Amino acid sequence: MTVAGTDGVADHGPPRSNPFATRFTKPGSIPPLAADGSPLDLEPLLEQLAGGCVAITGPHGSGNTTLVRALLAAAASRGRHASYVQVRTAADGLTAVRATTTLPRAGVIAIDGWERLPLGTGPLLAAIAGWRGVTVVTTAHRDPGIPVIATCRPTPAVIVAAVERLPTHGGLIDAEDLQTAYDAHRGNIRDAFADLYDRFESRSAGGRLKRS
Amino acid sequence: MTAVPEVHRPTPRVLVQFSHTDRRYLSLDAVEVRYEADGLGDEPVRAVEHSVLWFTEGKGEEDMGVHFFERVTDRGRLPPLAPSGQFSCRLPRSPLSYEGVIVKIRWCVRVRFFFASGRDYVSEHEFRVGGVPPARVAVAST
Repeated sequence: MTVAGTDGVADHGPPRSNPFATRFTKPGSIPPLAADGSPLDLEPLLEQLAGGCVAITGPHGSGNTTLVRALLAAAASRGRHASYVQVRTAADGLTAVRATTTLPRAGVIAIDGWERLPLGTGPLLAAIAGWRGVTVVTTAHRDPGIPVIATCRPTPAVIVAAVERLPTHGGLIDAEDLQTAYDAHRGNIRDAFADLYDRFESRSAGGRLKRS
Repeated sequence: MTAVPEVHRPTPRVLVQFSHTDRRYLSLDAVEVRYEADGLGDEPVRAVEHSVLWFTEGKGEEDMGVHFFERVTDRGRLPPLAPSGQFSCRLPRSPLSYEGVIVKIRWCVRVRFFFASGRDYVSEHEFRVGGVPPARVAVAST
C-alpha cells in the first residue's frame, strides 16, 4: 500500500516525517530504478519469466527485493498467479517448496533469499519449477548457479532519484550528503538511507538540541 | 536494462477536518473526522475504508496498531454520490504520540479509496495524542 497523500499537525510545527524512515524506504516503497535513475522497464524481465528458475543478483541493499517485488506485481497485473516467500530461516525453505508445488501452471513465485535456503532446497525448487511449468525468480547476493536475468548495481544517480521520490527533506540534505552516504556504504542504498536518517534527525532537531 | 516513462494519473485530494482544529487530543478523547474528496476521476469507487491508527516511524522494524476501522461499500455512501464522509471513535489510553530520535509514534486517520480497476488511493492525516515532549538530540559542545 502506498500512502499517496499526507499532512501533518497544523500550525504546531511538525511532526515532520523523516523521509529516510523505514516506512518510506522499505522495499516496494520506491520503484526499481535504472542506472541513470529513471524508472526501470520491467517488460524485458517479464519475458524471461517463462518457466524454470531464474535469479536477480546484487549486493546487500542494492534493490534486489524491490525489483523482485515489482516483477511479481507486474506479473500479477497480467493475470499470472504470483506468490512471494521471504526466506529468513530454514523453515521458510519448506514454505517455499510447498508454495512452488501448489502454484498453478504458468504462475510466478519469488523466493527472496536464495542463500538462506537449506542445503538442497535450491535444486529441488528448480526441478519442481521445470516439472510444473512455473517460474521461480529468486534473489541472491552471489552467483546462484542458475540463469541471472538482472543484476542490481546502484549508482549515485539511483540514490539521487530515489531520494527525489521520498517525502521532502526540506533542504536539510544536499547532493554532497547523498554522495557521501553512497560512498561510505559502497552503494548499499539501504545503509546509505540509514545514514541519511541520522543526518536528517540531527539537522531537523532545531530548537530541541541539547549540548553535551 | 532500459528505462520507461512513468504513467501519471489524476491526483485525488482528501481534505480532512478534525473536531479539534489544532489536531491535539488527549487519551480517551473522542475524535470526530469529516472529509471531502475531489479529483477521484471517472473511475467508480467500490469501497472506502476509514481507520484511526498509530504507527512507529524510525530506522528499524515498524509497528502499528489499528484502533478503529470501518469499510463502507454502500453505494449511497460512496463517491460520486457521496464525495464526503465522516467517522468518529474514542481514543485509547495509550500509546501517546512521541517524537523520538530513533523511533517516533504517530497517530493518524486514513481514508482509503478502492477503485473498480483494483488500484487504491490512501490519504493519511496526522494528529497528536497526549503531550509528551519531543526527545532532545545530544550534540557535542563546540
